[in-house]
Amino acid sequence: MKFKIKIGEKEYPIEILEGEEEVKIKVGEKEFSFKKEEKVFLAKTKFEKREFKEKKILAPIAGTISEIFVKEGDFVKEGQKLFLLSAMKMENEILSDFEGRVKKIFVKKGENVKKDQILLIGE
Amino acid sequence: MKILEFEKLESTQKKAKEIAKEAEPWTVIVAKEQTGGYGRKGNFWYSPKGGLYFSVILPKTKIEDLQILTILAAFCVAKILKEDFKLEPFIKLPNDVYVNGKKICGILTENIIFGREVKNSIIGIGLNTNIEKFPKDLENIATSIKIELKKEVDNKKLLKKILEELKEKLEIIG
Repeated sequence: MKFKIKIGEKEYPIEILEGEEEVKIKVGEKEFSFKKEEKVFLAKTKFEKREFKEKKILAPIAGTISEIFVKEGDFVKEGQKLFLLSAMKMENEILSDFEGRVKKIFVKKGENVKKDQILLIGE
Repeated sequence: MKILEFEKLESTQKKAKEIAKEAEPWTVIVAKEQTGGYGRKGNFWYSPKGGLYFSVILPKTKIEDLQILTILAAFCVAKILKEDFKLEPFIKLPNDVYVNGKKICGILTENIIFGREVKNSIIGIGLNTNIEKFPKDLENIATSIKIELKKEVDNKKLLKKILEELKEKLEIIG
């Protein structure tokens, strides 16, 4: 049985394969197998709620974007450098506080940004 | 205040950023020479032996206050140059100190921001103290205390003095 589920903006292909003793559930590339009769706790699967939540990176202070270290579609780790924001008196390295994909970058190198302006959305 | 001294580093600022996560606030990294000293926008900072190059890992401070601190640090250095060395410093905002129209000191504050939170802040100061001669491309735009006064400076003593002033200023704004 194949079907798709949509969470937020994203669609996930699901395939359920039923064998003699076990049931396999494929979600995209990931595969979960369960023995028949086994209780399945959905909350224990890989998909935690926060993974689907959009993550925003905002400018902490007004300044100029002097470097952009990632591009749209990149997978970023927590703590990875995203931007260098130069303010009049300081250089600010903006690191990612999430692990996930860069969905959209709203600024260009050399662009002036205001405080709290959205720089990037991740998912 | 813990002072970590190095003979040679690529950059005290870089070293400070590496250890900032584990280090106590007010840990100071000082190097006798830097091979890749830099200032704002990654501009090269000439750092041969003789100069005073250090970076301070600051306690957690609001980003707005750190902007003021950078300027205050320039004031601290200028004040010491005037009072202790009888030089006539001029602060070129936001963060350079000049004597006789030539740059003598540069200050750089770098913040590491994790999402919305300031994780670490590091202030770096490069002060041309005992530099006898600058290369051709810098000799018209840079100077040192030694060039101006024809005498040696005690870098260690000067470092302590700047740190004390800096700490006092941060306590006032913090």
